[in-house]
Amino acid sequence: MRHLATLLLVAVTLLPLAAPPIAAAAETLVMQVATEPPGLDLTATPASATAGVVFYNVQEGLVKVDRHGKIVPWLAERWNTSDNKNYTFFLKRGVRFHNGRELKAADVKFVFDRALNPETKHPAVKQYEVIGDIIVKDDYTITFALKTTTANFLLTMARQGSVIYPREAVDTLKSEPIGTGPYKVAEWVRGDRIVLAKNSDYHVKGLPKMDRVTYRFIPDPNAALAALKAGDVDATMFGLGPEHIPDLQKDSRFQVIIGETTNDVIMSMNNSKKPFSDARVRRAITYGINKPDVVKGAMFGLGRVIGTNVDPLNPYFVDMSGAMPYDPAKAKKLLAEAGYPNGFETVLKVAPQYYYTVRTGEVLADQLQKVGMKVKIEQIEWGQWLSRVWKDADYDLTIIGHAEAWDIGNYANPKYYFRYDSAEFQKLFQESEITVDDKARRELYVKMQKKLVEDAPVVWLYIHPRLAVTKKGLQGLWKDLPAGAGVNDLSEVAWAK
Amino acid sequence: MRGYIARRVAAFVATLFFVSGLVFVVVRVLPGDPALVIIGPEGSPEAAARLREALGLNRPILVQYTEWLGRALRGDLGVSLQYDVPVGRLILSRLPVTLPLTVMAALLMLTAALPLGLYAARRHRRAGDYLAMVVSQIGIAIPGFWAGLLLILLFSVHLGWVQSGGFAGWSGGLWPGVRSLLLPAIALGFFQTAVLVRATRSSVLDVLREDYVRTSRAKGVSELSVIAKHTLRNAMIPIVTVAGLQLGQLMAGAIILESVFALPGLGRLALGAITARDLPVVQGVTLFVASTIVLINFVVDLLYVVLDPRIRYE
Repeated sequence: MRHLATLLLVAVTLLPLAAPPIAAAAETLVMQVATEPPGLDLTATPASATAGVVFYNVQEGLVKVDRHGKIVPWLAERWNTSDNKNYTFFLKRGVRFHNGRELKAADVKFVFDRALNPETKHPAVKQYEVIGDIIVKDDYTITFALKTTTANFLLTMARQGSVIYPREAVDTLKSEPIGTGPYKVAEWVRGDRIVLAKNSDYHVKGLPKMDRVTYRFIPDPNAALAALKAGDVDATMFGLGPEHIPDLQKDSRFQVIIGETTNDVIMSMNNSKKPFSDARVRRAITYGINKPDVVKGAMFGLGRVIGTNVDPLNPYFVDMSGAMPYDPAKAKKLLAEAGYPNGFETVLKVAPQYYYTVRTGEVLADQLQKVGMKVKIEQIEWGQWLSRVWKDADYDLTIIGHAEAWDIGNYANPKYYFRYDSAEFQKLFQESEITVDDKARRELYVKMQKKLVEDAPVVWLYIHPRLAVTKKGLQGLWKDLPAGAGVNDLSEVAWAK
Repeated sequence: MRGYIARRVAAFVATLFFVSGLVFVVVRVLPGDPALVIIGPEGSPEAAARLREALGLNRPILVQYTEWLGRALRGDLGVSLQYDVPVGRLILSRLPVTLPLTVMAALLMLTAALPLGLYAARRHRRAGDYLAMVVSQIGIAIPGFWAGLLLILLFSVHLGWVQSGGFAGWSGGLWPGVRSLLLPAIALGFFQTAVLVRATRSSVLDVLREDYVRTSRAKGVSELSVIAKHTLRNAMIPIVTVAGLQLGQLMAGAIILESVFALPGLGRLALGAITARDLPVVQGVTLFVASTIVLINFVVDLLYVVLDPRIRYE
């Protein structure tokens, strides 16, 4: 027994009596992110993990969606259009790429010619197909002649796929992208971290404020929490779940940032498959769901209940969260009308890679049981979800968050995995795409949202909140994320002096 | 012996050939499309289809496999779809994490399990034996990832002795690297230690009951000599067999522990590659791990001869 005790004592003593955790210097920031980007080329992948690092921080567009959701001039200091078909951008002078060369109009033309080239395989090529001609007027003036009037053209130019990079750096976009952003890519240790270093020649004077930003990839939420508490990271951006928040709010070492995002979490119903092809069934399901309870049960009360696709950060947002309130009696009545007085059995497919889908599914299955539906939850891996649900629409019900901003067009695409096919809605959407007058366009957006509520192709549940936790004293982070749920501008971030 | 080694080398090559073919087919018939995963739901199915074509994934599996095999035989394992880096280079870059991690866990396993197992056998049905069994039962019951989190909580969050995760690298010297691998190695080795303690105890107990042990004791041979010369060596064959299998399991356990401790090792590379359907990486890592396990088994077989001269490979 004595020998054993000695052995244990030796084992414990052998553990390192090491140095204390390294405190963050004032000009550096170490951030935890859950997902490593699948490459750093914004013109090859629309992944939000890539945008989270590269967009706004390394590469920028001619215009930018700012922290209030407004489109503002960026690499172009202004633009004009007389007919909403020909857009002329006037480039800011003296903007330099990270390789030291000045940005010229020819670079902008190269970027969009390349995006339109089928060889490039740009994931958002459809958005650029409206471009008829690109005319370089001089080194700092460029005109885009569109084939048709396109109300969203400026938004297209503000999206992550429209970043400007030098033609000589095309081959290294995937691993060492060069741009005009406040930070340069200094190092990417695959599987471990990406380090960005300050661009001292940045075109916005006084920015960036950090000398070095490190993104550490820590996929496990509990490990991320431990890293934060041990002081190994200064901030977690997308790694923690809502269950961690109440504890961290009480901890005086940290500040918790809870904001809005464009990430609308929905339960989609396969509109092409019985019984969901019947709008009465879809409405019944919507009435059978108590959304505030879903947010309480699955998200610890964090998240805003929504009633339609357009998110609260969008200028055309209309609060429709109360349009179809929880009403189990009405749900049962509608099910009976549709020929299902005793409800029916169905399968809900969720991908546990996104924790909220499983938790939300469990609450929903329980709620829907009360209106007579037997919902069996099937957990499938993300790659399978993309193949079976998203691509092949081989599903009854599924839950996922749609992080992209301005995505109402998905409902106008009958091939999208909702398989929602409404000629009336498609007409409204097409009209909204060519209506430039803001008031008229807003009216169209309101009509579209009302039509969506009426047809209930999916159940809009809640907005997944931005949950960022940082050490006290970190300033300048965006509270809301209007440019896309993963986009995280760090140019103004600094430690309080 | 020479004939045996030649047969083993042939079996080694056949195993790798079989494993590579099996993995190639399995990762391609599994639901889930690499192009879709790269493009993601923010892109369009049309963009994914174009990428699939560009990656050559629309060609028949046999054509793809033959092409891959031809390149692999020339030492080219392809390029990672996710990282755009040659797979061979990617594997080599992860070895300075996974190799020391598994070696440290194995050392921990051997240095803790052998004395503890021996101690328990010598104290059979006494307090020390029961305590050793309780500790090993706890080790078997606690999953590695949970042990990892508990260690982080104690040594990083509360005591602040070591970093909660990440790898310090070897460029700053030996100690920072070892320090960042200590907790994961303990978490990884804990379960295997517990298993090996029981295997050692049971094997030593069997030998202690043998007539020749009783005889040597009756002859007045010292207890140290009885244990070291007569007992331990005879008990080693089953222990080495179990330990050999466990070395393979340590590599599998590294997949989970490297995620918990955010270590850029081979396990995490494999896990990420499977999730991202990064087929060349999945293929390369599997081949590497299979080769290592086959080699370990080969070394174990050779050790049998060293431990027991009666064993002959003809």
